[in-house]
Amino acid sequence: MEILNQLGIDWPKIIAQIIIFGIVYLVLSKYAFGPVTAMLEQRRARIAEGEANLGTIRENLAATQAQSAAVLDKANAEASRIVKEAQAAAVAIAEQKRQETVAEAQLIITKAKEATELERTRVLSELKRDFGRLVIETTSKVTGKTLTGEDHARLNKEALSQIG
Amino acid sequence: MSSSFTTLLSSLPALAEAAVHGGAEGGAHAAPPAKHEVSAKAQSFFSDSHHWAAFLTNSVFVAALVTVIFLWFFRSAMKKPTLIPGKRQNLVELIVDFLYNQVANIVGPKVAISAFPLLATIFIYVTISNWVGLLPGVGTIGFTHHSSGLAGLFATSHIETPLLRPATADMNLTFGLAFCALISWFYITIREVGLGGFLAHTFTPPSMIKGGLRAGLFIIFIMVGIIEIISIAFRPMTLSLRLYGNVFAGENLLHTAGSLVHTGYAAVDFLSSVIIPIPFYFLEILVGVLQGMVFALLCAVFIKLSTGHDEGHEAEEHAHH
Repeated sequence: MEILNQLGIDWPKIIAQIIIFGIVYLVLSKYAFGPVTAMLEQRRARIAEGEANLGTIRENLAATQAQSAAVLDKANAEASRIVKEAQAAAVAIAEQKRQETVAEAQLIITKAKEATELERTRVLSELKRDFGRLVIETTSKVTGKTLTGEDHARLNKEALSQIG
Repeated sequence: MSSSFTTLLSSLPALAEAAVHGGAEGGAHAAPPAKHEVSAKAQSFFSDSHHWAAFLTNSVFVAALVTVIFLWFFRSAMKKPTLIPGKRQNLVELIVDFLYNQVANIVGPKVAISAFPLLATIFIYVTISNWVGLLPGVGTIGFTHHSSGLAGLFATSHIETPLLRPATADMNLTFGLAFCALISWFYITIREVGLGGFLAHTFTPPSMIKGGLRAGLFIIFIMVGIIEIISIAFRPMTLSLRLYGNVFAGENLLHTAGSLVHTGYAAVDFLSSVIIPIPFYFLEILVGVLQGMVFALLCAVFIKLSTGHDEGHEAEEHAHH
């Protein structure tokens, strides 16, 4: 008892200290251990979920990459086909246009020839007519006689035969 | 364990002598301690030991202050916990996570769930209380009758009752802590292994020992069990005296180091009282955390020893399953 007294051990003081320790315990449990362990657990769960999601994301990424590669390959093939088709179509169109141009040019040449022929015929006939008229007028003036219709026809025929 | 207990018992007369010289026959009106000595016991703010509030000692006052600090710090740190923690929340999480892992490593993950709050509280509370004792003014500012008025209330020399005393330099606190630890140890042990399991673990040979040898060892294990029960009964004393002795010795060390030089020149005395204790402050910072760790680790080991499964018994159980 003397020792207890010298060290100041006293039940009310012990109880007071126990109560204070109990308050500290409650404070720590409420504001530290509880929330922190819950938070750490939540974070662990989040990390585990993240890891699981990471696996799924990796799988999805691989699938997407494969899919995109397939789409790119398909697009490349399609593009090559379209380019080839376009090239073929361009060649065909160019050939068609060339043929059309040749045909048109041929038509223009033919029409020009026909027009030239008609013009030549028309000029020739005018020339013949004028030539015949000149021959008749000249003959009429040289001979001094009035020519008949038969004379006209005979002179025209002779003059024209001279022209060819 | 037994050697340390013997050492502590042998130190009791020295402590008692320090208490007598430290002066406190009962509160503020006791004889003032010598300049470099610290009272062995916490002193009440009320001179009448039968006063209803006589339990309000300078140690209880500091313990209450520490509690308020805890309340403020942890409440502000964990008011709105977020997945991406702030600085304070990060610190609290670091401490709690570290302590939980330490406790789980010793007592096992299953028992750690129930043992961790108590052990972590003990460690944090003891460590912070020890460190608070190193703050300027603790043990050096208080009441004296050598001055009158306000100067007598908050004097810095000839202190009779320090206003602040390290909470852990009070046997009432250390014994209270040890008592709580003992009750918690008993509760956790009974909950984990049951009363029969505890008695069998304490008084009977391990189940791996069979046949005649087991019968022969029975009486020895009963004797060992009795010694173990006595050892358990003394645990609160050993735990509390170890902590109290270390902190009280630290207080004495710092006071002694601070009053070593008496040249008669006030400036020299003042400078030496500031400079000389500095190395000891670093020592006491280390001692403060070590004592908190020792107290909590010992409690954890006690729990582990009483809740740890008998390997032979466990093997048998596995064989049955």
